Amino acid sequence: MRRRRVNPAAGARAGAGALPEAIAALSRSLPSGPSPEIFRRAKFDRPEATSALWQLLFRVLSPLPAGNALASIALEVQARLVKSALCSQGYPRLALAQLPEDGSQGSRELLLALSWLLARGPVPEQMLAQTRVPLGDEMTVCQCEALASLGPPAPHMEAEGPVDVRHVQWLMGKLRFRWRQLVSSQQEQCALLSKIHLYTRGCHSDQNLGHLSVTEAEMLRDPEGGQKVSGGAAHNLDLAYPKGLYFSCTPGMGPRTFWNDLWLVPRLLPGDWAAPLDPGGASACSLLSPLRVLLRTLEHESRRLEAVLAWRRSEPVFWQWMDTVLGTCAPEAPAAASQPTFLPWVPECGDGELELVVRELQTLEEELQEAVERRRVAWEAKARGCGRGPEWSAARQAFRETVEKELGALQQCWEQDSGPAPAHGPHRLVRREDGAAGDQDLRAAELIRTLRSQEACLEAVLRQLQGQCRQELARLAGALPGLIWIPPPGR
Amino acid sequence: MSIVTVQLGQCGNQIGFEVFDALLSDSHSSQGLCCKRENEAYQASCKERFFSEEENGVPIARAVLVDMEPKVINQTLSKAAQSGRWKYGQHACFCQKQGSGNNWAYGYSVHGPRHEESIMNLIRKEVEKCDSLSGFFIIMSMAGGTGSGIGAFVTQNLQDQYSNSLKMNQIIWPYGTGEVIVQNYNSILTLSHLYRSSDALLVHENDAVHKICAKLMNIKQISFSDINQVLAHQLGSVFQPTYSAESSFHYRRNPLGDLMEHLVPHPEFKMLSIRNVPHMSENSLAYSTFTWAGLLKHLRQMLISNAKMEEGIDWHVRPPLSGPPSLGKMSLNKDLHFNTSIANLVILRGKDVQSADVEGFKDPALYTSWLEPVNAFNVWKTQRAFSKYEKSAVLVSNSQFLVKPLDMIVGKAWNMFASKAYIHQYTKFGIEEEDFLDSFTSLEQVVASYCNL
Repeated sequence: MRRRRVNPAAGARAGAGALPEAIAALSRSLPSGPSPEIFRRAKFDRPEATSALWQLLFRVLSPLPAGNALASIALEVQARLVKSALCSQGYPRLALAQLPEDGSQGSRELLLALSWLLARGPVPEQMLAQTRVPLGDEMTVCQCEALASLGPPAPHMEAEGPVDVRHVQWLMGKLRFRWRQLVSSQQEQCALLSKIHLYTRGCHSDQNLGHLSVTEAEMLRDPEGGQKVSGGAAHNLDLAYPKGLYFSCTPGMGPRTFWNDLWLVPRLLPGDWAAPLDPGGASACSLLSPLRVLLRTLEHESRRLEAVLAWRRSEPVFWQWMDTVLGTCAPEAPAAASQPTFLPWVPECGDGELELVVRELQTLEEELQEAVERRRVAWEAKARGCGRGPEWSAARQAFRETVEKELGALQQCWEQDSGPAPAHGPHRLVRREDGAAGDQDLRAAELIRTLRSQEACLEAVLRQLQGQCRQELARLAGALPGLIWIPPPGR
Repeated sequence: MSIVTVQLGQCGNQIGFEVFDALLSDSHSSQGLCCKRENEAYQASCKERFFSEEENGVPIARAVLVDMEPKVINQTLSKAAQSGRWKYGQHACFCQKQGSGNNWAYGYSVHGPRHEESIMNLIRKEVEKCDSLSGFFIIMSMAGGTGSGIGAFVTQNLQDQYSNSLKMNQIIWPYGTGEVIVQNYNSILTLSHLYRSSDALLVHENDAVHKICAKLMNIKQISFSDINQVLAHQLGSVFQPTYSAESSFHYRRNPLGDLMEHLVPHPEFKMLSIRNVPHMSENSLAYSTFTWAGLLKHLRQMLISNAKMEEGIDWHVRPPLSGPPSLGKMSLNKDLHFNTSIANLVILRGKDVQSADVEGFKDPALYTSWLEPVNAFNVWKTQRAFSKYEKSAVLVSNSQFLVKPLDMIVGKAWNMFASKAYIHQYTKFGIEEEDFLDSFTSLEQVVASYCNL
């Protein structure tokens, strides 16, 4: 593992008390960060520090904040997921993969893994961005796919025998309806957002913004949370008021809603700040007025932000200390290329059983190899050299070139009208008069134009492919005499 | 979420008026059998869906009225205004001075494109008034000239311009012995076009409703107004607010979407029909009591035996015994007219509704083999009673109800087409024989799909 270069001058400036401060800042800047004491124990590979570090690593590596769901996952599962995540990111040390998953040992290895992650990217800042509560109405404009969640795998669905295609069509139709309803809901949300922005013009103290966001408007309208969200009649009578408030303040960002985040945050925070208000703890947060909850959330965020800044200032001291930690480790043997760094979990079984299983697998392997050989011979006889030979490779080359050309054309088509690619992450929606936008601002009209041209390109390709399919089908239908071809209704 | 209604032609406009009237008078009814708060929530939900507010508090129907003659529209507008409780928007209607002579082709190829912009503008204005649009409800007849031709054209336009919104077409199936010679041509052209551009076709048969008026309501001289009121009652009991499944504190926000998702996700099976119990004149109502068990038993048998109304149900028809399907079983079903369902939705309103037992509808024998009852059957229960009926149940069904009528119409139209009768009236305005053939093909396909359940 490469040693990180540190600025010796910075190290010399820092005094004896700088290290605990640095570690304290780090732990404050991470969500549910362990105490500095845990770090110290981990340097000496003490077992009691292990589970806290597993949990911290899990929190850092799982991409989506899921509140309570995360806490309920068992330690073994968390440990396993951490191992596979680190492996897929290319973590070089083998020792971590071989650690037991019950949290009994290995805290030093975990500490090294944590520092590897910290060295690779701005982890505290990323975590802060994830748990940020947006005050404004936001929307993402980049086309990045949301990262797949690290949750447990979905149960495997077995198909029981042949499935009637009509059933599949039925399900497909239901999906289409849901999709259309989703689009309608999003349109409704946008219309309501637009109304709020329009009606609250001139209300915002920040001249740059000029109007309120949904969150801010709701705070003003009902700071004490008197109107409960779940009351039947009250809700229905309030239909005229932005219904979008109850769904989401961030179009396109799906499950994150303002209310969800608010109710989540108390559970993620240490219990102390909820206590003064009500000793009942986190569960009593539902009784806090939304305004107060928002205030607390923002205060908490500020504290985290300050912690991150403090961490960045005192970082060199931490890295010096990590060098010493690395020094206490035994030097690692060079990794054998053939060995897997992460062994799959095999259930324990008796020796005798194991031998039986091994023998069965060997016989199975032999049988399969024979079958494969037979198949291969038969296929080759059938294909008669197709797939080899000069004509085939020429054809393959031609295919490759066509595909590359098509992709290139598509790419060009996309890049034609668009300016520089918009930044990743969410952007705040602000309604302005024509021409009042600043230089740094993204204009909705431009984005819409870009998206429309991309859409047009894709539609052209789709139509072309559909045409090809239709021609192919017509050719096949024409090849069979006496067959009448009835296309399905609709396009 | 709001529904924008498009009333087309004489039929559409007259029915539309009755529907809005029924919805509003039910929501103001004092016999809701529920507490005040509940009632207010019901009213608010109904209003948001179908009406918009204006200054003096009189609700304005979210509707666009279209007809080629001014007479019916003027009548409709004045009737609504006279009631004093609601009205249509001042500028929500479009009409011309001349009719279209029951010529589908004229309506589709001439009137439609000519007035496309004005009509779509009106619709757009209505859509903009909605905070959120659930979808469109288009009321039209199938066999006339204006309603059907323009209706097909408008639905297609809505599909192009509002592809994410849902569209339900309320279609009036003409009398079997109707007066319009070319009604079968009009019908097949309308149906085949709507099958492509609409999401759901909710069909009401004139014959069936006529019988309800005669037998159940005991009306001697049945006028169109009576028929339309029965229709409006059925539609009202479907579209008035119902509780959502998750919590029984909120009224469902998107009934159109939920209904469509449950009943018509498959693109080949879009035809829906409505059956409701009980149905009687107001005088009889005061002297009747009902039990849920009795009502549901009748409704189930109506579904199975393809009955149009409560009276004259054939109780001999039974669901087939379970077991592998065989050829013998299929013919037995056909003989006894057993009606196989794809999906059913039952909506119950009224007193003690939680105690109503709908297990009878969950029998797998009622449904086609490729859909389990848990997916095929849904029930919505609401405490609040509808329109003075202490208990009422309505069934919206995607089943083989309409196979026979459809088959008959296609057969009659084909016979006429084979002898090229009256085709020139259509080819004159751009509907070629090719289009007729396409229509026949797609409707035959629909009949075949429904028969093969």
